[in-house]
Amino acid sequence: MHTDPLGEISRDPLAKIGLFMLVIITLLAICAPLLSNYSPHDYTGKIFSPPDMDHLLGTDSMGQDIWARLLYAARTSLLVAGAVALISSTLSVVIGATAALAGGIYERFCMRVVDAMTSLPTIIVMILVAAYLRPSLLLLILLISAFSWPGGARIIRSQVLSLKERVHISAARTFGAGKKYIIFTHIVPELSPIISALMMQDARRAVFMEAGLAFLGVSDPMVISWGKMMHQALAFTYLDVWQWWLVPTGLALSATLISISFLSFSLETAIDPRMKKENARSG
Amino acid sequence: MNNQRAECCLPEQVRKTSIDKTLGNLIPASILNYLIALAAIFSLNFILPRLMPGDPLHAIYGDEALVAMTDEMEAELIRQFSLDKSWWDQLLAYVLGLLRGDLGFSYYYHEQVSQVIMGALPWTLLLTGLALILATAIGLVLGIESGFRRGSTLDRSLVAGLMFLGGFPDFFIGILLLLIFAVSLDVLPISGASTPYAGYTGLTYIFDILRHLALPLASMILVQLGSIFLLTRNTILTIREESFILTARAKGCSEHQIKYAHAGRNSLLPLTTATGMRIPNLITGALFIEIVFSYPGVGSLLNIAISARDYPLIQGILLIVTLTVLSANFLVDLLYTRLDPRVRHAH
Repeated sequence: MHTDPLGEISRDPLAKIGLFMLVIITLLAICAPLLSNYSPHDYTGKIFSPPDMDHLLGTDSMGQDIWARLLYAARTSLLVAGAVALISSTLSVVIGATAALAGGIYERFCMRVVDAMTSLPTIIVMILVAAYLRPSLLLLILLISAFSWPGGARIIRSQVLSLKERVHISAARTFGAGKKYIIFTHIVPELSPIISALMMQDARRAVFMEAGLAFLGVSDPMVISWGKMMHQALAFTYLDVWQWWLVPTGLALSATLISISFLSFSLETAIDPRMKKENARSG
Repeated sequence: MNNQRAECCLPEQVRKTSIDKTLGNLIPASILNYLIALAAIFSLNFILPRLMPGDPLHAIYGDEALVAMTDEMEAELIRQFSLDKSWWDQLLAYVLGLLRGDLGFSYYYHEQVSQVIMGALPWTLLLTGLALILATAIGLVLGIESGFRRGSTLDRSLVAGLMFLGGFPDFFIGILLLLIFAVSLDVLPISGASTPYAGYTGLTYIFDILRHLALPLASMILVQLGSIFLLTRNTILTIREESFILTARAKGCSEHQIKYAHAGRNSLLPLTTATGMRIPNLITGALFIEIVFSYPGVGSLLNIAISARDYPLIQGILLIVTLTVLSANFLVDLLYTRLDPRVRHAH
């Protein structure tokens, strides 16, 4: 896999669009206080007021400024995405790589756990745990990470298994390289494109899961979240308010998900040599 | 059980012996996985409420339920869960209860949890099953056509459009359809599975159910279509230049036969595997869609259970959904051996 996936995706229009969207969303999230006159927790006293210059997207059923809440909710999504991507991909790499390198009963045990976990309806398990433990943002991040790593661990394991047999690694071993040396100078660098693809997938799943759980009513009561906003807004579809409450929130969530999917799709295409050849041929 | 299943799928004697062997090899591995998954859910359901600080009865039933409970009911429940005895006895009581099909009592519905869920499950299965079949059929046809016409306008627009669609979270697609067709245009019903108190019978009843099913079904199909389409298209791209396609063409098979009987059948294999992996997502996706459309399936039940903090009901739903997912996975495993003669004859 001696390719340069980063250079590869920087020429891909799909990746450019994805990156552009993600940068915009991140900027909006960071500059949230500058872009809105209201704090997302302020009660303005006016409920269901239609959009005007003061309230760009009007106010919701509690009289809170929707535009401000939309911006601050982006922070939650991106925070969860980043944290889960880090924790979950670390778990995937550690478990997948140790399983492949150690082998034996340990490997069989890990892979059984992975198989069992991937066949569970994870969202409901998370709901149950979160409902018992009273959801907080930290708990949600840990929960989502705890259920996101198995797929990645399986991929990392199979990669390490095939890498382990490559000629240059056995050559290094012949020259007396230690296990540690082989792992850090030969295996980890080769894995890095796959790890970044995994992180993208984890981030996307995390944004979706956080919004989905909040949409189901499982979320930190203090945290502003797109899922929770949609959950509240769905009760008022008989009023016109959905046009500036429900739809923009859903679009914001979708834009975040789509930007991450574009990036991850383009990265995966760059990693998979078979797909790349296909793309090159189609011009 | 092994023999029975083989008999009902495969009447012919020859095939039966071969699939019996395959099943013998297939069952231990996958059944073990399913057992581990089930055991994980059982222990989660058993341990979580008992790990909570304070009175486990509070944890099992939630504070809100206990307010409504009389002393006798409390004593009865403590006896039933063996909460005054050791953990071992509690586990025994729990397992025996499960074996009797006793998932606990939903205080919100004042009914056995198993009965509440069984009332909702058929709607979820109807929605999920239909969506799976239709999405697979549509995705397969589009994928094959697109793969054989790679680079054409049809191919490009399908890839772009479906990838874009696949980026949307499933409940937002549902919400958009709801807003367009039920709120703005007002052509389809906004919620429920049938018109209440309408007293329809026969064909009108079926039509009414289909009308209510249309939007949830369409959103589920749209959500799944992208991945099915892309997978089929990718498989077609890799196999369309293989020698068996060339042979078929040389034999004089029609283009239609090549596409569907030769390439299509082969692209079903990775699709089946992917379907198996997607089943948990599929069913949880259905739960979201049901909530959007207030469709009376397990999803809406879960929504109510969460807001009412009806813990026994949430636990029951988790258990039943897990069972559904695992049995669907098992069916997919069986289907795979039926589809691919190479797997069937490999052992």
